[in-house]
Amino acid sequence: MFKNEEMEINMGPQHPSTHGVLRLKLKLDGEVVTSCRPEIGYLHRGVEKICENKTFFQGQVWTDRMDYTSAVANNLGWAEAVEKLFGVTVPRRAQYVRTLLNEFNRISSHLLWLATHALDIGAMTVFLYAFREREAILDLFEAFCGARLTTTAFRIGGLREDLPPGFEKLARAFVARFPDCIDEYETLLTENRIWKKRTIGVGPLGAEDAIAMGVTGPVLRAAGVAYDIRKAFPYAAYAEMDFEVPTRPEADTYARYLVRMAELRQSHRIIQQCLDGLPEGPVMAKLPKVLKAEVNEIYHPTECPKGELGYYLVGEKGSANPYRFHVRGPSFINLQALPMMVKGSLVADVIATIGTLDVVLGEIDR
Amino acid sequence: MEEKTPGYVYDLKAAPNRQVVAPKSVPLPGLKSFLAEQAAAVAAEAAKWAKTQADYETAKAKAEADGKDAPKPPVRPVAKPDTNDMKFPRPEPATDADLLYLQSVLGDQVTEAFQQAGEITCQVDKEAVLAALTLLHDDPALGYEMLADETATHYPVAQDFAFSVVYHLTSLRRRKRLRLRILVPEGFEPESAVPVYPTANWMEREIWDMFGIRFRNHPDLTRILCPEGWEGHALRKEYPTLGLGQRDIDFREDRSGVLMRLAMEKAGNLGINLTPPKAE
Repeated sequence: MFKNEEMEINMGPQHPSTHGVLRLKLKLDGEVVTSCRPEIGYLHRGVEKICENKTFFQGQVWTDRMDYTSAVANNLGWAEAVEKLFGVTVPRRAQYVRTLLNEFNRISSHLLWLATHALDIGAMTVFLYAFREREAILDLFEAFCGARLTTTAFRIGGLREDLPPGFEKLARAFVARFPDCIDEYETLLTENRIWKKRTIGVGPLGAEDAIAMGVTGPVLRAAGVAYDIRKAFPYAAYAEMDFEVPTRPEADTYARYLVRMAELRQSHRIIQQCLDGLPEGPVMAKLPKVLKAEVNEIYHPTECPKGELGYYLVGEKGSANPYRFHVRGPSFINLQALPMMVKGSLVADVIATIGTLDVVLGEIDR
Repeated sequence: MEEKTPGYVYDLKAAPNRQVVAPKSVPLPGLKSFLAEQAAAVAAEAAKWAKTQADYETAKAKAEADGKDAPKPPVRPVAKPDTNDMKFPRPEPATDADLLYLQSVLGDQVTEAFQQAGEITCQVDKEAVLAALTLLHDDPALGYEMLADETATHYPVAQDFAFSVVYHLTSLRRRKRLRLRILVPEGFEPESAVPVYPTANWMEREIWDMFGIRFRNHPDLTRILCPEGWEGHALRKEYPTLGLGQRDIDFREDRSGVLMRLAMEKAGNLGINLTPPKAE
């Protein structure tokens, strides 16, 4: 009387919970996922091709728009990559300010993750609470560089100008009240029975599978691997900062939630150290007006809130444009692990898993 | 075109961005090419100085013969000291233990090994890439557990090869990074890295999509960023930035949407996937 068939349905590309235009071809046996195939490319804008026709200065504008939730981290990676290609030394004050803004960006990206991930699972209050703090951080970005989301915050060789007057006061006000806000989010979710039922055991990704699939960032740290590029290959002013790398052994969605909440606290710690220890000095290195490259290729990895963001640049002799520009997007690589993580789980768990991977389609598709 | 197009229609096919600016050099970093370039530059500067001196001698002799004053003797030009905070990283010969180990194990399959900008690079024979990757992954002295990135670059001007495929490997345990490079001619299919590093799956799909390099033994080599059925490989240097016109619409002319609707009907109202689904 009943026919048992496998159903293949499309989740996306238009879906409120796929964090962008992501299409998943799900093969379902009832409610259980037997296989999942992500189809991407709906947001492919050809950034790598376009940047071959732009100068090294102009390319930074395109980096804001790839991972649009953490534009400052993208800008930092780009500026440092070009500086590595040319061998530029950045003044110390600029390094500290870059670190400061990068950590503010980490907090704002994790707050957006928390808000959308909780909203997908059903906890709507967290969204409004997290965005309240995020507004404060976006005000800080606007004070520094004039834009909230697509910041283009840094310049090659340092910063365009020093921190504006009143910035430190705003930053310290935020720093003073932020730990209570993290406690507030934790009160809503960490011991919440429904949250735990929806996230414990969901989307498991063990350490061996994670390393084999090239997964980095909080997803890898929640599998027990203490790998953070800020500690392993320090850049900007991270070598002088004192912070911990939180890890958890369970490797499920709840563990990734705990790791990211702990990272919020560590970012807060780094921001305090940056504000207290900000050195005096110039904020821009001395550079020629037109940057013409020599033959060189570099790969510069940085720790984006989502994982290892790598910039690969090839310079051509006498050219002001990069010969090849490639972005190693953490969301692109992390999404490869999705089929492995959702096999055998329910459709609702697929949504929780996409949220916990913290993917941004702009970075996946470039 | 046959009929006179009205002024406001933007003729995409004649736009400057459709034109392709072909590269003129092969910017492949390497120690041998760098040293050859340095030697050539030194020789050229020496030849130029010799010529300046010879010209001065002839001018002096001519001036003495005419009875005029001798011209000023030439001064050898010195490079101006650079006051910028910029010092180009130069390639240096390999002194790193990993590079020397690779050279000792793989022997003459390693065609180049050098260090530049704080990074170590090893270039191997294109046939030996899977052996090199397996060695880097399995050997406990090396232990590169993670493939951070795999990408390619198109060098249309180069003689012996057309692409360089680059693997960036990370050793989490030893906190070290290494770049492995192979030079691939047009039509050659390198071995896929998926058996050793499963993360290379989508990376190689992207290389196939953007460059047209096929990989042997890849589980599913299909286009990833461009739709299936797309023609052309976008990141090749002869592909124009604005594209080949496959998805162009003259939106400024089609104010009522009639042309768009006609095009969609012609395609069978398939929306974004312009190929009808195949029955499986």
